[in-house]
Amino acid sequence: MKRGGPADLEARVLSADLCTGCGACLGHCPYLKTLGERVAFVHPCSLTEGRCFAVCPRTSLDPDELDRRVLGTPRLDVFLGSYRRLLWSRSLDADIHGRAQYGGTTTALTAFALESGTVSAAVLTGGGPTSFPQPVVARDRDAVLAAAGTKYSACPTLVPVAGLLRESDEAFAVVGRPCQVAALRNVQANPKNAHRFAAVIGVFCFWALAPSFYRFVAAHGVLTRATKIDIPKEGGVVFSNGRTTTVPLDEIRPHIRPACQTCLDPTAEWADVSVGSTEHDSAWNTLVVRTARGQALVDAAVAAGALETRPYPPDRIPILRAAVAGKKRRVMAAVDEGDPATRYLSVSDDTRAAIMAGGRDVQ
Amino acid sequence: MSLQALRIPTPGQVVVLSGNEAIARGAMEAGLGYAAAYPGSPSSEILASLAAVSRERGFYAEWSTNEKVAMEGAAAASYAGVRSITIMKADGLNVAMDFMTSLAYAGTRAGMVIVVSDDPGAHSSTKEEDTRYLVRAAHLPVLEAATVDEAKTMVPWAFELSEAIGLPVVLRNVTRIAHARGSVTLGPLTPPTREARFDPNARYLTLSLFHPVLHARIEEARARFETAPFNRYTGPADAARLVVACGPGWTYATEAVELLGAKGEVGVLKLGTTWPLPERLVASHLTHAREVLFLEEVEPFLETEVKSLWAQQTERGPVRFLGKASAHVAGPSGPSIGELTPEIAIKAIAALTGRELEVHGNGFAERAAKLALPDLPPRALAFCAGCPHRASYWAIKSALELDGRKGVVVGDIGCYTLGVMQTGYFTVKTVHAMGSAVGLASGFGKLGLLGFDQPVVAVVGDSTFYHAAIPALVNARYNDSPLLLVVLDNCTTAMTGHQPHPGTGRSAAGDPAPPLPIEAVARGLGLDVDIQDPLRTAEAVESVYRLLQTDGTKVLILRSPCALLPSTKRTHRAVVDPARCVGESCGCNRFCNRVFSCPALVWDGERGCARVDDVLCAGCGVCVDLCPRGAIRLEETAAIAG
Amino acid sequence: MAGDPVDRLNVVIAGVGGQGNVVASDILATALSRAGFRVSVGETFGASQRGGSVMSHVRTARDATPGPLVPKGLVDVVLGFEPLETLRVLTDYGQSRTRVLVNPRPIYPLAVQIGEGTYPDPGALLESLRALAADVLVVEGTELARRAGEVKAQNLAMLGALAGSGWLPIAAETFDAVLADRFGDDLLRVNRAAFRLGIEEASRISRVPASRAG
Ligand SMILES: Cc1cc2nc3c(=O)[nH]c(=O)nc-3n(C[C@H](O)[C@H](O)[C@H](O)COP(=O)(O)OP(=O)(O)OC[C@H]3O[C@@H](n4cnc5c(N)ncnc54)[C@H](O)[C@@H]3O)c2cc1C
Ligand code: SF4
Ligand code: SF4
Repeated sequence: MKRGGPADLEARVLSADLCTGCGACLGHCPYLKTLGERVAFVHPCSLTEGRCFAVCPRTSLDPDELDRRVLGTPRLDVFLGSYRRLLWSRSLDADIHGRAQYGGTTTALTAFALESGTVSAAVLTGGGPTSFPQPVVARDRDAVLAAAGTKYSACPTLVPVAGLLRESDEAFAVVGRPCQVAALRNVQANPKNAHRFAAVIGVFCFWALAPSFYRFVAAHGVLTRATKIDIPKEGGVVFSNGRTTTVPLDEIRPHIRPACQTCLDPTAEWADVSVGSTEHDSAWNTLVVRTARGQALVDAAVAAGALETRPYPPDRIPILRAAVAGKKRRVMAAVDEGDPATRYLSVSDDTRAAIMAGGRDVQ
Repeated sequence: MSLQALRIPTPGQVVVLSGNEAIARGAMEAGLGYAAAYPGSPSSEILASLAAVSRERGFYAEWSTNEKVAMEGAAAASYAGVRSITIMKADGLNVAMDFMTSLAYAGTRAGMVIVVSDDPGAHSSTKEEDTRYLVRAAHLPVLEAATVDEAKTMVPWAFELSEAIGLPVVLRNVTRIAHARGSVTLGPLTPPTREARFDPNARYLTLSLFHPVLHARIEEARARFETAPFNRYTGPADAARLVVACGPGWTYATEAVELLGAKGEVGVLKLGTTWPLPERLVASHLTHAREVLFLEEVEPFLETEVKSLWAQQTERGPVRFLGKASAHVAGPSGPSIGELTPEIAIKAIAALTGRELEVHGNGFAERAAKLALPDLPPRALAFCAGCPHRASYWAIKSALELDGRKGVVVGDIGCYTLGVMQTGYFTVKTVHAMGSAVGLASGFGKLGLLGFDQPVVAVVGDSTFYHAAIPALVNARYNDSPLLLVVLDNCTTAMTGHQPHPGTGRSAAGDPAPPLPIEAVARGLGLDVDIQDPLRTAEAVESVYRLLQTDGTKVLILRSPCALLPSTKRTHRAVVDPARCVGESCGCNRFCNRVFSCPALVWDGERGCARVDDVLCAGCGVCVDLCPRGAIRLEETAAIAG
Repeated sequence: MAGDPVDRLNVVIAGVGGQGNVVASDILATALSRAGFRVSVGETFGASQRGGSVMSHVRTARDATPGPLVPKGLVDVVLGFEPLETLRVLTDYGQSRTRVLVNPRPIYPLAVQIGEGTYPDPGALLESLRALAADVLVVEGTELARRAGEVKAQNLAMLGALAGSGWLPIAAETFDAVLADRFGDDLLRVNRAAFRLGIEEASRISRVPASRAG
C-alpha cells in the first residue's frame, strides 16, 4: 500500500486541483467530504498516514506495477493495455436497450452478476445527466436499470465502497471510470479487501466534466430537460429528450475537469472488463475482456442469453488505438514538459518510448 | 430569582435580592409605570423581574427590539406623566446614544431613570466600556450604588431628582452589584399613576436653543448632589490619606482599610453621585488630604474629574494623586483593564499606608506551590452539550471548505460569538456590534468590482436579527449584495438568560404575542429563505453549500432550540458502543472528542475509546451522524421529573 | 460544630458553568439571611456558564454587609462541585484553616478534550486538597443526585452535605422552608431528595477520618 497522509493528499491532489472525483478516499473519516463533485477536507486531519492517501489514484500511479499486480502479465498493447478478448457486445434485453447509453453491455453484465448471485450489490452512478449524479448501491435489477446511461461528470461513485467493506462481508460489483478502477485496485492492495470486488467494470473515459458544466446547463434552459447526453462521432454534444439539441464541443471543452487532462488511461486498463462505444454503431459496445474473472462473467452472461458478442471488426482496431494513442501522447508530452500535474505518474522509460513510437498501425 | 421577595408588601423586612432585583424593587417602590429594555448581561434580570410581576402590579414592562426603541418608549411614558425606567448594558447605550443626547436637550416630565450596566472584566461582554464618559457627553447626571441595598434605595431618589431637574437620571451599574446578592431592607410599594396624559400645550424638542437650559439643569443636579445621602466620608476628620471610592470599590476599600488595620489613618470618601461632581463636598476633603487614592471601576473617570477640580482651586495644598492614571491601582493586566478586586484594593491601600497583609497564612502558599501536580488546565468557553450552534458552525465550515473559495464568515453578538473559538472551529473572522455581521457582509459582497471573489457568510442570532440586522439586510437587498445570511435561530435570547423576542410569540410578561417569524420578515424583503435543522448536519451542509452557489442576497435559518431552554426536554442520550469505537486506531483520530468537542464526548483512556458523559449529554444526536464508524447511538432516557 | 458562634463566614462554591452554582449560592444565602445574618453573594454568570470555571462567593456577617468578593486567602469553606475547580479555588483563596467539601467527579476542560492539556490524576487531586485544607469531605454528589432521580441535582446534594457537615452557623432544617419556597412540586421532590441524601452522606462520612473518606 502507498504510504502518506492527509496533508500530502491535500497538497499533491486536492489543492493542486488534480482530484478526479473518484470518491475512493471518502467514507473513512469525518474530515474528507464531498459535495457538488468537489472533494475537500472540512477540517484538517492530523494523522500522518491515511487510507485516503493510499487509495487515491492521483497521489501516485505506476502503470507497470498495476499491470503486474492486477493482470499478472506484461503489457500486451501499449495503448489498450492487456486483454484476453476485444469484442463488440450488446445486451439482449429490450428494457436495457431503451435506457442504456449504447449497447447496454454494462447494465446487462451488472444485472446478470446480481441475478446470478455472483455479487449481492453493485455500486453504480445514478441520477439524470443534467444535474449532479449520485452514487447508488443497487441490489436488484430495477435499481441497476435505473442507473443506466452515461452522466458526463465526475460523480464520486466510490463513496459507498468504504462502508460496504466495513459493514458487510458481501461480494460486490462496481462500475466506474478508469480513475475509479485504478482507485479500487489500490483499495484491493489491502489484503483484507482483496476478495471483495467480484466484478470491476470500467467504462471508457477520455474526460469527465467539472461542476461548472451543470451551471452551463442551467443557464441554457432547454438543456436541463434532456434525458440523455451523447458525444457521437458526428461531432458536438447532443442533448436529447425526444428532440435533440447539439452544442458545439468547443462550448463544452472549457468544462473538462482539470485532472482529466493528465489522465493516461482512457480505457480502464485494470478493470475486469472495460466497456466503451464502438464509434460506429450505437447499438453496440466495445468490450475489452481483461481478467479471468471478467472472462468468466462475460461467458456466463452470454451463455445465459443476457449478452451477445461478436468479434471486433479488424479494420476498426487501429481507429480505437489511434484515439487512445492521441490521448496518451498528449499526456506524455506534458510529462516531458515537466508539467507538475503529471508528477503522479511513474512511467518507465520503455513504456514512454513505446507510447511515443507507437504501434505500426497507429499514425 | 427571588420573585417572591419582590412582591413582599411589608416595609422594613430584610430579604436577599440580587442587585438587579433590588433595582427592580426600587423602581416598584417609586411607583414605576413603564419599563422597557433589551437584554444584555449583566443588566437583563432587572426587566425580567419587573415583567414577571408587571401584570399583578399594574404597570407595563416590555422587551424592546433594541435599546434605542426601549429608551424612546420610556421617554414617551415620562412625557405622559408616567415614571419610567429603561435598562441596557453598556453596549446598548451606544445604540441608544443618538436618542439619549437628544433627550437631554428636550428634557423629561415624569421621572425617568436610565440604568446602564457596565461589565468590568468583560465577564459576559466583548469589551469593557465605562459608560460614564458617554453619559457625561450627553450631559446627564450619573449615580453609582456601592451595595445591593443602596442600589434599591437609589432608584426612588433618582426618580425624584429626575422630576426636580427635568432630565433623565442615569444609574450606572456594574457586574459586581448587578449580579451580586445581598441583604436588602424593603420599603413600601407604590402603585403607578393611572392618569397618563400628554399635555396638549407641551412640546419636547431637540433644539440647540436648549443647550444653555441643559447646562443649568446639570448645575441644579450638582447642587443637589452636595447633600445627597449616597456621598459619605468615614475616617479621621483630617486624614492626610484619602481614598475616594465608588461602586463596589467602596466595599473593597473599607474592608481593605480594616484588614490592614489602617482605620485610624485613612479616610474613605464614598461617592454615589459621580457626575456632575459635588465640587464643594470633594474640595472640602482635598483641603486635608495629601495623598488621594481612587478606587473605581474601569477608567480613571472620578480620578480625572477630581484632579481637574483640584486644579481649579485657588488655594490648594500639595496633593499626590494615586490611581489608574498613575498605575497605582492596577490588576494583572494593567490599570484600567479588568475589574477591580479586593486584592487590587488591598495592594493599593497597603502601598499607600506602607503596611502589609499576610494572606493565606501558616505557610499555605508555600505548600500550595509545592503540590506535585502539573499546571491545572484552564477552562476555555465552549458551546454546551447539545448546543445547536456547534452543529451549525460545523455545517457552515464544512460547506465553505467544500466550496473551496475561501469564504469569509462574519460574526455577531450572542452565544454564537463563541464561533471565534475552538468549539466554533474558529469559523468566525469578525466580531463587532449587534447586527454588524450583516452590514459588513453587505460591504464585502460589493467588492466584486475590485476583484473580491470569496463568498461571504454573515452569522447572526435570532434576537440579534430583530435588534439591528434588519436595516443592514435591507441595505444588502437594495444594493444587491451577494451574501448568505445564516440566522442561528435557537428560539430565544440565550446568552442573556432566555428572554423572549419578536419571533417567540411571547411577551416579556409571558403573555401570547403575535409571532413575527424571521422567515416572514426576510420573505417580506423579497429574499429567498431556506430553513434547516442544524442538528441534521448533512442537510444543513448541503443547504449552505447550495446557497453559496447562487447569486444575490440569501437567507438561511438554522433553527433548533437552545439546549438549555427548560422546554428543550432531554428525551435521549448518546452511548458509545465500545465494540465499534476503534479508538486511537480509527482514521477519525478521536474526532468526536478532540475535534467536534461536545463536552459530553469524553475520552476513556483505560478502554481506549470514546465515552459519553450521561450527566452532560443532551441527546441531540449530532455525534451519531458524524461518527464515521457508526459507533454512537441514541438511547431513550427514562422520563425525568421536572 | 453547629451552633458555634460564627460572626463571619466566607464560602466559595467552585464549579463549572452549568452545574447550578447560582441556585446553590442563592439557597445558601437565603437560608443564612433567614437565620438573621447579613449576607452578600458575588457571582459571575453569563458567558462563563458556557463551560468556564464559575465561582460563587457567599459571605455572611452578623454586623455589617460584606463586599461581594472574598479576598484571596480568606475563604473558610470551599464547596466544590468539581475536583479540579475545587483545587484551583483552594490554592487561590484558601488558608490553613479552610475546609473543603468536594464532588470528585471530573468534568474535562476543553483543553483536555482537544489534547492541549492533561487532567490531573483524580487521586492526586484529592491528595492535594488534603495536603492544603484543614478538613476534606469527599461526597459523590452526582451519584447521590442520580439516586434522587436527577443527575443534575448534584448541586443540591452537595449543598445538603454542607448543611449536614456542621460547618455552617445554621441548622440543616433552616433550608427546608427555603427549598419549599424556591421549587415547584416536581423539582422540589428531586431537589429535596438530593439535599437530604447529601445531609445523610455528610453525617455518615464526617465520622470517619477524612483521609479515608475518598
Ligand atoms: C464521464 C464519461 C466519459 C466517457 N467518455 C467516453 C469516450 O470518450 N469514449 C467512449 O467510448 N466511451 C466513453 N464513455 C463510456 C460510455 O459513455 C458508456 O458509459 C459505455 O460505453 C457503456 O455503455 P453501455 O451502453 O454499456 O452503458 P449503460 O448500460 O447505460 O451503463 C452505463 C454505466 O455507466 C455508469 N456511469 C454512468 N455515468 C457514470 C459516471 N459519471 N461515472 C462512473 N460511472 C458512470 C452507470 O452506473 C452505468 O453502470 C464515457 C463514460 C463516462 C461516464
Ligand atoms: S482522486 Fe479520488 S481518491 Fe484522490 S482525492 Fe480525488 S476523490 Fe479522493
Ligand atoms: S448526542 Fe452527542 S453531540 Fe449531542 S450532546 Fe450527546 S454526546 Fe454531545
